[in-house]
Amino acid sequence: MKRIIILASTLILGLSGFVLSEITEEGVKYQENEEAGGPEIVYTKPVKGVLFSHKLHVKELGLPCESCHTAIFEMEAFKSQRNPDFNMDSLYKGKYCGACHNGQTAFASNTKCATCHVGVKGLERLKKKAQAAEKK
Amino acid sequence: MERKNNLVVQGVISKEEFTQNWLQVLTEFLSGSKGFYILLLLSGLIVFISAMFGVNAMYIGYSHVYGIYREIPWGILISGYVFFVVISTGLSIISSIGHVFGVKSLIPIGKRAIYLSIVTLFAGFMVIFFDVENPFRMAIWNALSPNLTSNIWWMGTLYSISLIFMIFEFLLILLSKHRYATIFGFLTLISKVLAISNLGAVFGMLYGRDFWYGPFIPIYLIASAISSGCTALIFFTYLGYRIRNERLDKSMELALQVVGKIWALSLAILTFIVFWKIITGLVGSEAQRLAIRELMFGKYAPNFWFFEIFLGLITPFFLLFVSKFRNINQMFAASLLSFIGIFFMRVDMVVIGQIVSHFFEYNVTDFPVILTYKPTMHEIMLIIGACAFCVFSFLIGEKVFKGHHTEIH
Amino acid sequence: MNWKEIFMNWKEFFKNLKTEDQGFVPEDTRREFLKIGLIITGVAAGGSLLNVVSVVAEGLATSEELHREYPYKPHYSMVLRVDRCIDCERCVEACRQTNNVPEYGWRTKILERVDAKAVDQQRLFMPILCNHCNNPPCVRVCPTKATYKDKQTGIVKMASYKCIGCKSCMSACPYDARYFNEEKRAIDKCDFCWESRLSKGIKITACAEACPAGVRIFGDLSDPNSEVYKIVHQMGKAVWVLKPETGAKPNVFYTIG
Repeated sequence: MKRIIILASTLILGLSGFVLSEITEEGVKYQENEEAGGPEIVYTKPVKGVLFSHKLHVKELGLPCESCHTAIFEMEAFKSQRNPDFNMDSLYKGKYCGACHNGQTAFASNTKCATCHVGVKGLERLKKKAQAAEKK
Repeated sequence: MERKNNLVVQGVISKEEFTQNWLQVLTEFLSGSKGFYILLLLSGLIVFISAMFGVNAMYIGYSHVYGIYREIPWGILISGYVFFVVISTGLSIISSIGHVFGVKSLIPIGKRAIYLSIVTLFAGFMVIFFDVENPFRMAIWNALSPNLTSNIWWMGTLYSISLIFMIFEFLLILLSKHRYATIFGFLTLISKVLAISNLGAVFGMLYGRDFWYGPFIPIYLIASAISSGCTALIFFTYLGYRIRNERLDKSMELALQVVGKIWALSLAILTFIVFWKIITGLVGSEAQRLAIRELMFGKYAPNFWFFEIFLGLITPFFLLFVSKFRNINQMFAASLLSFIGIFFMRVDMVVIGQIVSHFFEYNVTDFPVILTYKPTMHEIMLIIGACAFCVFSFLIGEKVFKGHHTEIH
Repeated sequence: MNWKEIFMNWKEFFKNLKTEDQGFVPEDTRREFLKIGLIITGVAAGGSLLNVVSVVAEGLATSEELHREYPYKPHYSMVLRVDRCIDCERCVEACRQTNNVPEYGWRTKILERVDAKAVDQQRLFMPILCNHCNNPPCVRVCPTKATYKDKQTGIVKMASYKCIGCKSCMSACPYDARYFNEEKRAIDKCDFCWESRLSKGIKITACAEACPAGVRIFGDLSDPNSEVYKIVHQMGKAVWVLKPETGAKPNVFYTIG
C-alpha cells in the first residue's frame, strides 16, 4: 500500500513538473516542485530575460495567492506581457509589479534592476533547466 | 691566393674545384647505406604527413582545428616556433665563440652548428607559417608597411636577415673563405642576438599580461638559448658520429667538453633566473600570483615540476657533472632529456601568460578565472613534422658535408 | 609564524603572502572613496592612505591634457551606466546585424557579474567593447600597421588587407576586444560603427541606439556640451575605466546612475 502511494505521488509530482515546464517563444516557465507555489517565469517581451519567481514570493516570503491573483495578474503565465502597456512606465505608475515594488511595500522598481532582469543569460539558464526537467 | 690564417678546412676547395664539388655532393648523397635511406624516407614521410595536416588546417580554418581561441590566441605552435628559433640562436652563439671570436677549442663544432642553426631556423619558420592566418601577406606588408614599434616586426625581420647571413657564412666556410665567413658570422651573431631580444620583448613588453611583462623573458631566452644550443650541439654531434660509425677525434672531444661546461654554467644561470621568476611572481600582482600558482600547483604542475625542472634543469645538470664532461654517452642522455624539458619550458612560458582571464577580478560568470588550453592533433602533428624536418636535414647534412669536419693547424 | 610553521605549511605561506597594495585597505573605506570619484592607489606601511587620485585621472587625464595631447575632433567616446544594464542584449544583436559580426565572434558583449555576498543586489551586468585606448597596446605591436589609431577621430581602426593574422594584437589587448574574422580574413573589432554608420553621417553607434535603458551614451569627448563630456568631467560621481593599471588610457568610461 505504502509503495503504491509513493509511486502515485511521485508520478503526480513528476507529471505536474512536466506540465508546468514550458519553453515557448513567449518565454520560459519552470517549476521544480509543488512547494514552490508556482512556476519561475521568465518574460521575453518587451525585453528578454525578466524573472518572476514564485519560489521567492510564495515559498520564501510567504505571500498568499490572492495578493496578486487575480486583481493584478491573471493566473496564466505570459498573459500580461501580451498587453502593450507591459513596460517600466506602467510599473512606475503602480501597475503590474509596480503595485508593490514602489519603494514602500517592496523595493522601488527603478532600483536594483538586475534583481529581476536576469537577462538573456538568465533566460538561457532557465531554458536549460526546463529542458533537463522535460527530458525526465 | 689565399691569405694564410689559422683555419684550414679539410680538402681546401678553390674556385675552380667548386663546380666539381657540387657533383661530389650529389655522388656522396647517392652512395649512402640502406639505413640512411630508410631513416631519410621515414623522416621525409613524417614531414609530408604533417604538411598535409597543415594544409588541411589552412583549408578548414585554423579556428576549427586548432586548440587556440579568442582568449588564448597563442598555443603550442607559437611555443614550437620559440623552441626552434631559440635553439637556432643558441647554436649561432656557440659557433660564433669559435669562428668569430677565435676560441680554438670550439672550432671543430662550428660547421655543424651553423648548418643546424640554419635548419632549426627554417623549422621554426615552417611552424609559424601554419600559425599565422595570412602567411603570404606577411612578406608583402612586413616590407611595405613596417611598424618600427612592433617587436614582432623586428624579430621577423632580424631572423630573416640572419638566415641570409648564415647561409652566406656557411657557403663561405665551404669555400674556405674564412675571413669573409668570420664577417658574416659576426653579422649573424648580432642579428640573432637582437632578434631573440625582440622575441622576448614580444611577450615582455605587454604591460597587460602580468605573467609576461618585464625584462625577464628576453634575459631568460638568451640564457636558455645558450643552454639549448649546447643541448643541440651535443645531441647532434653525438648522433652524427654514431651514424657515421666514427670515433671522436681529440679536438672534437675537447670541443664537446667545453660545450658541456658552457652548458652546465648556463643551466646554473637558468635555474637561478627561473627560481627568482617564481619567487617574485608569488608576491606579485593578483594575476601573476594566480598564474604562478596554476603553474606550480595547478594543472600545469606536472609540466613544470617534471618536465621543466626535473628533465630540463636538474637531470642534465646532474648527468653533466657525473660524466665529468668526458663521458659522451651520459652527455648525450642529458641532451635528450633536456630537449624534452626545453620544449615544455616554451609551452609553459607561452600558455601560462594567457590563462588568467582578462576579467578575473570582476567575478564574472562568462569566463572562469583560469582559462584552459588543449593542443589538438593538428598542432601536435605540425610540431612533430618540424622535428622530423630537422632530423631529415640533419641526415642529409651529415652525408653530404661528410660529417662537417674541420681541421685546425 | 615561526620558521618551523612556515616550513611545515609552505604552500599556505606562499599563498597568503600579501603585497603592499590596495588589499590592505578595508572594503568600506575603499567604497567611500570610490563614491566620490577617487581611487586609492597606494598605502603607506603605517596604514595611512596616500595617493588618493581621481579615478578618471588614473585612466585618462584631466580635460586640459585631453585637449592638448589628443587633438581628435570629434573625440569619439562612450560612457556605460552599468546599473541600468538589464542584459536584454539588444545592443549585441544590433551590432551583429549592422556590422555583419559572425556567430562565433563578438564586437561587444555583456558580462554578468555575480557576488552572492553582496547586499542590495547580487548581480550586475557590464557591457564591454573595444575601448579605443589613447595609448593602445594593439597598435604598438602590430607588425604591419594593420591596426592604427585614426588621427581625426581617435577610433582604433583596422586596415583589413594588411592583417597577417599573427594575433599579437589579440595577445596585447587587455580587454579581449579582438577576434579573427574568417570572412574578412583579418582581425575584427568594434570600430564605433565608423564603417557602417559614422562615415555615412549617422551620428550614433548601433549599440547606443538600440539600448532601451540608456546604458550606452556615445558622443564627442572634446565637445563640452556633449553628455559624455559632462559625465566624464565631473567629480561628484565615480567614473572609472577598466584596468587603468595597464596604461592603455581607454576612451570608454563606466559609471553608475
